[in-house]
Amino acid sequence: MISVPVVPPSRQASELHQGGSRPIPGSLPLSMPTHYATVGIIANPASGRDIRRLTAKASVFPTVEKANMIQRVLGALGATGIDRVLMMPDMTGIAAAVKRAVAAHAAESHIRWPEVEFMEMDISESVDDTFNAVELMCRRGVAAIVVLGGDGTHRAVAMRCGETPMATLSTGTNNAFPDLREATTAGFAAGLVASGRVAACNATRVNKRLLVEAPGRREVALVDVCVTRHLHVASRALWDAESLDELFVAFAEPDAVGLSSIAGLLHPVSRSAAHGLHVKFANDGREAIRHITAPIAPGLLASVGIAAFEVFPAESSISVATGSGTIALDGEREIEFGPQDHIVVRLDLRGPRTIDVAATMGFAAQRGLLDI
Amino acid sequence: MATELTKERLLEAYRTMRTIREFEDRIHADFSTGEIPGFVHLYAGEEASATGIIMHLSKADYIASTHRGHGHCIAKGVDVMSMMAEIWGKVTGTCRGKGGSMHIADLEQGMMGANGIVGGGGPLICGAALAMKMRKTDNVAICFFGDGASNQGTIFEAMNLATVWNLPVIFVAENNGYAEATSSSYSVACDNIADRASAFGMPGVIVDGFDFFAVHEAAGEAIARARKGGGPTLLEVKLSRYYGHFEGDQQKYRAPNEVANIKAAKDCLTSFAKRVTASGQLSQSDLARIDSEVGALIDESVRRAKSDPQPTAEDLLTDVYVSY
Amino acid sequence: MARKITYQQAINEALSQEMTRDPSVIVMGEDNHGGEGSPGEQDAWGGVLGVTKGLYHKFPGRVIDTPISESAFIGAAIGAATNGLRPVAELMFVDFMGVCFDQIFNQAAKFRYMFGGKAETPVVIRTMYGAGFRAAAQHSQCLYSLFTHIPGLKVVMPATPYDAKGMLIQAIRDNDPVIFCEHKMLYTLEGEVPEESYTVPFGEANVVREGDDVTVVTLGRMVHFSDQAAQAMQKKGVHVEVIDLRTTSPLDEATILESVARTGRLVVVDESNPRCSIAGDIAGIVAQKAFGDLKAPIEQVTAPHAPVPFSGALEDLYIPSVASIEGAISRVVEYRK
Repeated sequence: MISVPVVPPSRQASELHQGGSRPIPGSLPLSMPTHYATVGIIANPASGRDIRRLTAKASVFPTVEKANMIQRVLGALGATGIDRVLMMPDMTGIAAAVKRAVAAHAAESHIRWPEVEFMEMDISESVDDTFNAVELMCRRGVAAIVVLGGDGTHRAVAMRCGETPMATLSTGTNNAFPDLREATTAGFAAGLVASGRVAACNATRVNKRLLVEAPGRREVALVDVCVTRHLHVASRALWDAESLDELFVAFAEPDAVGLSSIAGLLHPVSRSAAHGLHVKFANDGREAIRHITAPIAPGLLASVGIAAFEVFPAESSISVATGSGTIALDGEREIEFGPQDHIVVRLDLRGPRTIDVAATMGFAAQRGLLDI
Repeated sequence: MATELTKERLLEAYRTMRTIREFEDRIHADFSTGEIPGFVHLYAGEEASATGIIMHLSKADYIASTHRGHGHCIAKGVDVMSMMAEIWGKVTGTCRGKGGSMHIADLEQGMMGANGIVGGGGPLICGAALAMKMRKTDNVAICFFGDGASNQGTIFEAMNLATVWNLPVIFVAENNGYAEATSSSYSVACDNIADRASAFGMPGVIVDGFDFFAVHEAAGEAIARARKGGGPTLLEVKLSRYYGHFEGDQQKYRAPNEVANIKAAKDCLTSFAKRVTASGQLSQSDLARIDSEVGALIDESVRRAKSDPQPTAEDLLTDVYVSY
Repeated sequence: MARKITYQQAINEALSQEMTRDPSVIVMGEDNHGGEGSPGEQDAWGGVLGVTKGLYHKFPGRVIDTPISESAFIGAAIGAATNGLRPVAELMFVDFMGVCFDQIFNQAAKFRYMFGGKAETPVVIRTMYGAGFRAAAQHSQCLYSLFTHIPGLKVVMPATPYDAKGMLIQAIRDNDPVIFCEHKMLYTLEGEVPEESYTVPFGEANVVREGDDVTVVTLGRMVHFSDQAAQAMQKKGVHVEVIDLRTTSPLDEATILESVARTGRLVVVDESNPRCSIAGDIAGIVAQKAFGDLKAPIEQVTAPHAPVPFSGALEDLYIPSVASIEGAISRVVEYRK
């Protein structure tokens, strides 16, 4: 099910701030909390272990490093005055590592960390955990959610987080949507936004998204929708360029890795443009107008024949021409369809709100928000 | 990426999975009447793993199995009649009644043996692979082990040796969540067994063990890589066993309805049938025909196993080089 | 006069001749050539005491250095044996069996029987045992009785260069797993060894010295100690028959029983610890099957039930001595009811 928020959008950072007593932005010492603000952290324990470790040279992202990233985020959130963090529990070691780290930190350091609360929820060890955790966080009024994961994790959070801004952190090498950047800075920016020091209008952007309507289900992709001729989703990832039939991208950066890089190398589309790109591959008798080499996965440079590509505007619906196959969302096969199934792809401008770390920190620098 | 499976191959996959399920369900039923001796560990629920992986192999490719080995044996082509007879302790059994459920082996089929020792197969499969490599064949060797064995030093040593010697071995961690009655979330110190691969310089991949297609595709990539001399891979297959650790285990350590919920939501046979019929690759009648043929085969195997002769005193001291 | 070479050279020659004869024979173990992956010389060691030196260059790719990872490579040798190779794996010191014993006693030893006769495991595990090297408690033991306890294993204990060569060739050609025990103090022992290939069958004890007064059953390095003791007793007019078991499994009971039937007196000399030992086993067999022949209680000469000490002063006391063997022989001769 898709993106219609099932919980009320969380309060905006600016609203949160209204009851506060902040005289002049940036004039407060960082160590002094301005008000009570809560941030959620979602770390996907399963990310970074799919077949791309074998078919490409994708990185393995160890749990220990995810836990370390969370600690760096906690330090940054503490420094920006966030007093509570909600975390998703898990059965695979991240939560346990963070709990140990919190206890150790309390014993040995005077630097303030937010209080870390693991939410009470059932764990299914599936994407439902992320859905449930995000819903609970939004109900508890988190002012931002820091997400550690790949495109898939961000997609799952985006489907439930409504207007709550996400700070995106890529765990691994195979992602187009989240930022591949240092967790401390992302946590810093998230803290500045969540605490209201930097207003959402200066710090966040609303992303595009691709909506896929198939019989009986509606799905969302944040980067790309790819139509393949594989009949089964199988191990989900895509690494065989010859199986690709069509590609829809919300944005396309020439320096990306993944399927969207194909579009990025043909006709770049920015994250803010009000259109996407639709590519048809030269398969099944369609003749190639161009051949390009693109990094469709880490370390995997594939040559692909392009039959056609064209820009398509937001809100226009395009029917998938392929007879039967699978639809991959953000690089992972998710939907199997047959000749009788009608699939429609649409781009809209109401995707998740994300924190622009560079813009946030630039604003903070300009206003001297971090001066002591 | 593998090309789509032909209709014949899909039928074969379904027949193998159905045979394993039927075999195990029947043993479960017969064990409860007290007729089957000894320790029996059933593979029901995990069929997509053995089937999806072993379908890529020929007789000259070897597998090392575990105490939960019936599924691997069946998928590798060990005769079902002789397996059932072995489990009933009859002289017509695969091992002439001397091995039993935990020790079924058939080297002619490339089946190096189920193994009563948790983690016992890792070093052995390295040797089989070394022989393949020294003979300059493109054969591969598969080491099946569980989440319990993932903590055994033999498995670590074998993974290290496989990389050091660049052996054509696929380590398949069938993580069913429980080593006997202990949860892998407690006993496995890292979050995923696959994570250990990087410590041994090989790729580590997690695959959904309820999904035949996912297992088949991932295993195909790992096996193709090994055949070309690309070295070992650790494949962690996340799955669940339907029955207890051994027959007689009431599984009180599992959540109420845990197995029922998994069966309802994820069962590999159900999901396979649903998807191949939805895609039009197979018809309901194709599947129904296999169901009835397999049912008859298992009936016959049990009938024979019950009536076949026991080994005699003359068999006690054969197949061992000397006795006192 | 026939050619004389050392026990160690005899082992090397057996390996070399069998590797020449049969391309499926491979050699593996820790530093079996020495230097793998290192910037310097290959075949730098040829085994920790140089037993396999020179094979590496003679048989490219067939002398394999392993990580110090006994479970993995002993198990791999066993696995390779089920798939067409005839590996000779070196478990450097028998004391290290503790880290790989499962692969030996639960895997290799069981396959043939447990799989209904359908598997053969032609693997040889060469291993060094015995005290006298000042190598202390973890590098000096005589654990052959533990292997002997396990059905399915053959346990070979050559005492001379001649037997070392002939029995190793026999072991490599055997289709069952063989534990080939080499006493580290015997490596420099010289003896007559034919240049051509030959085998010494298993399960046939060697009567080293004939005599009708006392039977001494012994094995390994103790064969030489027992022979010296017998020589000394000869001067005192006691005629000692010395029997070298050569293999503890299979065991040549017939030769022992036949000898005891003549002498009526038995001394068993075994370098290992006394409990559940070869000495105790032989004594038990004779007590059961030749009770009527015995004129005196059976004497056992063994190491004490203690770990092997380091200090030379202690180790020399620990190892059964020629004098202690003479003492035991004297006791059984002088015994009066």
